[in-house]
Amino acid sequence: MKGQTMKKIILMTMFYMLLLVATASAHTALMSCFDEGDGTITCEGGFSDGSSASGVKFHVAQKGQKILETKMNEYSEVNFKKPEGDYQAVFDAGEGHQVIVDGNDIVE
Amino acid sequence: MKKVVLTLLLSVLWCSSSFAHFQMLYTPESALEKGTTIELREVFTHPFADEHTMNMGKQHDSKENSAVESFYVINKGKKKDLLNSLKQITWKGHHNSGSAYKSQYKAQRMGDHLFVLQPAPYYEAGEDIYIQQITKMIVNVAGAPTDWDKELGLKAEIVPLTKPYSIWTGSTFSGIVKSNGKPVPFAEIEVEYLNRNVDLAANAMGPALVEAPQDSFVTIGIKADQDGKFTFGIPKAGWWGFCALGAGSDKEYKGKELSQDAVIWVQAKDMK
Repeated sequence: MKGQTMKKIILMTMFYMLLLVATASAHTALMSCFDEGDGTITCEGGFSDGSSASGVKFHVAQKGQKILETKMNEYSEVNFKKPEGDYQAVFDAGEGHQVIVDGNDIVE
Repeated sequence: MKKVVLTLLLSVLWCSSSFAHFQMLYTPESALEKGTTIELREVFTHPFADEHTMNMGKQHDSKENSAVESFYVINKGKKKDLLNSLKQITWKGHHNSGSAYKSQYKAQRMGDHLFVLQPAPYYEAGEDIYIQQITKMIVNVAGAPTDWDKELGLKAEIVPLTKPYSIWTGSTFSGIVKSNGKPVPFAEIEVEYLNRNVDLAANAMGPALVEAPQDSFVTIGIKADQDGKFTFGIPKAGWWGFCALGAGSDKEYKGKELSQDAVIWVQAKDMK
């Protein structure tokens, strides 16, 4: 009985790992940002398979320093005050799933 | 005798040209890298042969053209009315000019921007019928899919099974013809290539890009299967229009026969 339960657990774990691999490799992380025109920037995150980016890590970098660290909200969005000077918006969904948008490319 | 032959010939010509009307909902690029303001042109024409540009909303009992019934966009499930963005223009086709519209839209947010245009029925004197083409076109920002496959339950609708903005040349486009959410079995579908470069500044069609080897290639006729589904191989980059003839539930307008059609536009890109 014990052995069977163990087998089940191992099988289930393997199954879920396979699922995880399949979803992790089949999509691309995406982010698009725009200037709201009111002194703030909105960045929208997502994945190429249409899945939500809600809760995905996001930060704003300036001169190599993180000046803002947060997570994508329930609508897979972040709104923040437009920094002075050069900056980068970074969508960080883990290794191989980072998207960096340069502040100079963020327009109204 | 000559007169009879000429009349017959003309009527045959007239018949072949009266089909293949296509409501265009044109923009240069359907797959945008990032959000931007896009140009749109709403023109009722024959996109392959460009033989006749129709006056949108033409009526049989009035010299006034009827206004567009509805025009909106859906992004991330949110609907935005665009009727007020339409500005009347005269569109210059190869053979004549016709009353059409232009508009601009700020495609700012990421994802799909699903446009729906429902013009007023157009009176086709050649057949003494009205034609109304409910037209869909999808623009995507930054690659995230959000609304492209939404079924809107329109009176006549082609629901895409392939993303209309990410089609390689040589691959296929599939869709289902529906009316009020129900598939239309064996629906008759016309397929046309936008065989012109569009001049946005001049509101005009450019010269033809390709020549049809025979008339059946100008407007390609295909049929949906028993579930209303169809697939078409796309042989060339550019815009392709699909029109399901008479798929809609409205069959009469102002006491005349109405062909309520469903149109969708897709854009193919070369692998290079």
